[in-house]
Amino acid sequence: MKKFLNTLLIFTLSSAVFYVVMILFFGRFVHPVFKPSINYWKGSYGHLHSRVADINNYKNVDVLFLGSSHAYRGFDTRIFEEAGIRSFNLGSSSQTPTQTKILLDRYLKTLNPKLIIYEVYPNTFTADGVESSLDLIANDKNDLNSLKMAFKVNNVKTYNTLIYGYWNDLLGIDNSYKEPIEKGDDKYIPGGFVERKITYYSPKKYEKTKIAITDYQLKTFNEIVSMIKNNHIDLILVYAPIPKANYSSYINTSYFDSLMQSYGKYYNFNEMVDLNDSLDFYDSHHLNQNGVKIFDHKLIEVLKHNKK
Amino acid sequence: MLFNSIDFAIFLPIVFVLYWFVANKSLKLQNALLLVSSYFFYSCWDWRFLFLLVFSTLLDFFTGLKMQDALNHSKKKFWFWLSIIVNLGFLGIFKYYNFFAESFAELLGGFGFKVNPWTLSVILPVGISFYTFHGLSYVIDIYKNRIKAERNFVDYAVFVSFFPLLVAGPIERATHLLPQIKKQRHFDYLRAVDGLRQILWGLFKKIVIADNCAEYANHIFNHSADYSGSTLFVGAIFFTFQIYGDFSGYSDIALGTARLFGVELLRNFAYPYFSRDIAEFWRRWHISLSSWFRDYLYIPLGGSKGGTWMKVRNTFIIFIVSGFWHGANWTFIIWGALNAIYFLPLLLTNNNRNNMEIVAQGKLMPTLKEFMQMAITFALTVFAWIFFRAESLSHAIQIISQIFSSSIFSLPHYTDIKKSVAVIVLVIAFLLVEWKGREQQYAIAYIGHKWPRITRWAFYALIVFAIGLFMPSVESPFIYFQF
Repeated sequence: MKKFLNTLLIFTLSSAVFYVVMILFFGRFVHPVFKPSINYWKGSYGHLHSRVADINNYKNVDVLFLGSSHAYRGFDTRIFEEAGIRSFNLGSSSQTPTQTKILLDRYLKTLNPKLIIYEVYPNTFTADGVESSLDLIANDKNDLNSLKMAFKVNNVKTYNTLIYGYWNDLLGIDNSYKEPIEKGDDKYIPGGFVERKITYYSPKKYEKTKIAITDYQLKTFNEIVSMIKNNHIDLILVYAPIPKANYSSYINTSYFDSLMQSYGKYYNFNEMVDLNDSLDFYDSHHLNQNGVKIFDHKLIEVLKHNKK
Repeated sequence: MLFNSIDFAIFLPIVFVLYWFVANKSLKLQNALLLVSSYFFYSCWDWRFLFLLVFSTLLDFFTGLKMQDALNHSKKKFWFWLSIIVNLGFLGIFKYYNFFAESFAELLGGFGFKVNPWTLSVILPVGISFYTFHGLSYVIDIYKNRIKAERNFVDYAVFVSFFPLLVAGPIERATHLLPQIKKQRHFDYLRAVDGLRQILWGLFKKIVIADNCAEYANHIFNHSADYSGSTLFVGAIFFTFQIYGDFSGYSDIALGTARLFGVELLRNFAYPYFSRDIAEFWRRWHISLSSWFRDYLYIPLGGSKGGTWMKVRNTFIIFIVSGFWHGANWTFIIWGALNAIYFLPLLLTNNNRNNMEIVAQGKLMPTLKEFMQMAITFALTVFAWIFFRAESLSHAIQIISQIFSSSIFSLPHYTDIKKSVAVIVLVIAFLLVEWKGREQQYAIAYIGHKWPRITRWAFYALIVFAIGLFMPSVESPFIYFQF
């Protein structure tokens, strides 16, 4: 029995080393088709790499925006600047509370905002957080928090990509990478916003769906709210506009609204601004620049009203 | 608790350590531990069904004793039939009631009578088909005086519910497993290592082959109306490897796990896709079920001893019942009947036992004839799997008619076709390893046993890596759990 346990232990350790080394080899040299669970993509959608690099230019902001692509494609920092509000947009693709928490842990002190506007989209509370974790691993630094995030997400893709991420950071493989300001139809705007070339959306029919919030995402969300309050920072929760066809597909929005209201100031802009599904959106989720202007001006109006 | 889950990866070492370090002094304690662990394992699915499992175990245990102690044959017969009726009754209610009610209503509808069938909204208890068959074989063997009734309830309960085989087999026989449960078991290094190796290979089959093939098979079958005959054919091939990797992978994990506890389970698969005819295929596919039906249904019906009509009748009965055992759907019945049609010419021409030995034994490659025989058998099997996988008969017919249309000559095209190249490469590599190891109990049993340890371990570590690299994001249950 002793021999068996010893052999098993040695094999487990040596195969773990082999595994980690093979991740580096496959991550670096093998075609993506043959490494489906290593998804390390520096400069992926959403310009997170540029945004993180931009943080040091935005210390002590008035407003910090958090959330998913609805945030970094919805809150145009230039519009807020025009209104005299210095802001930074720390949104990232499919950002769930798990990733929001990590970003706050890393950058809240540097950005030191007076107010946080947190975009809350129901799907980010129901998502597994894999997509966003991959974005974070590839486009931000990897530390102990990344490992905590991987355990929370508990997905093989996240684990493998994180191992490769550690290798990448350790060996400085992509250190010289510079993300282009313009990628396809997207343009990174200093301050974190991503502007999309104006296009229009042809609405489609959506199946009715129920918001079913994941326990661990809600738990993390609670931690975020506590963290913000403990830092004496004002918090506003915002449900950013999505096309009406999409919005009305949720059958229990009132439940989501009341849950968010229980955390403090919450605004559901789907009920507050009248947008056209075709003219003000470029896809089933995101505002085009016309919609962004309407939404942001309405939000500024709300902020001014709150200030009074 | 799935074999391919983190929960099982925690559960198994805990039970292993308790079994060999805490309970190793006493057989009674070891068996009690196995029983408690097995009931815990089962209750992880739905604790309410534990009552059904315990009831079924108690029923067969006590009817077994009553048969053994019966003073005359009529009393023995009474207890025998009581057990059979109650066992099959439970199976009928949970698994087949809705099928019969709906089919009857449809039949009446065909005659113009509109009937709303009264159906039950019950979940099928996981493993019911397997543990019911364990119990049935036990009471039949006692009735036929092949074995004596077990008088120790814990030992009998372990026989029925031993966790590696509880939810999807292999379907054990009391003559094979009970003696092992009653005998003191000692830790054997080589056997334990062999068990781990078989678990590793089973995980590879399930996670790398089955789950990756499933992605494409499910997509193509679920959108069959959108696809050409050639794409549907590729979908059927994906399913062919999915079901093999899934079920034989499960069986490998079950056998390997049991071996860690010093128990040898019945072999369930023996490289069925290297069969040269359908008879050989059925000697190599789900062996524990095929042999169960042979021993407890086919032979009692007269087997192949009678005239031609009896042979035909018995063949159809065993294959159709076998199909029906898989699920309450006409697709399974047709799948069974189709295999009977494949099998009959071999039986009627006395060619059903032509290929008893392993194909190309001791050789590197098969002969051209053997290769052609394997290819034809494989094609017939793929065709039959379409019925097995389809949602309904009309779905199967739609797929088959599309495959046999001119669109079979078009290039296959489906979502993520480029990504599927990796899966195709993996399946080819898997087939090569299986071919190389086809003379062993499982493919990697002896591969590398003469290599230096470092090379052999690198080979196993490569399998571990492949599992991690190709593991799908979401755990998927084993197909046979639903049966």
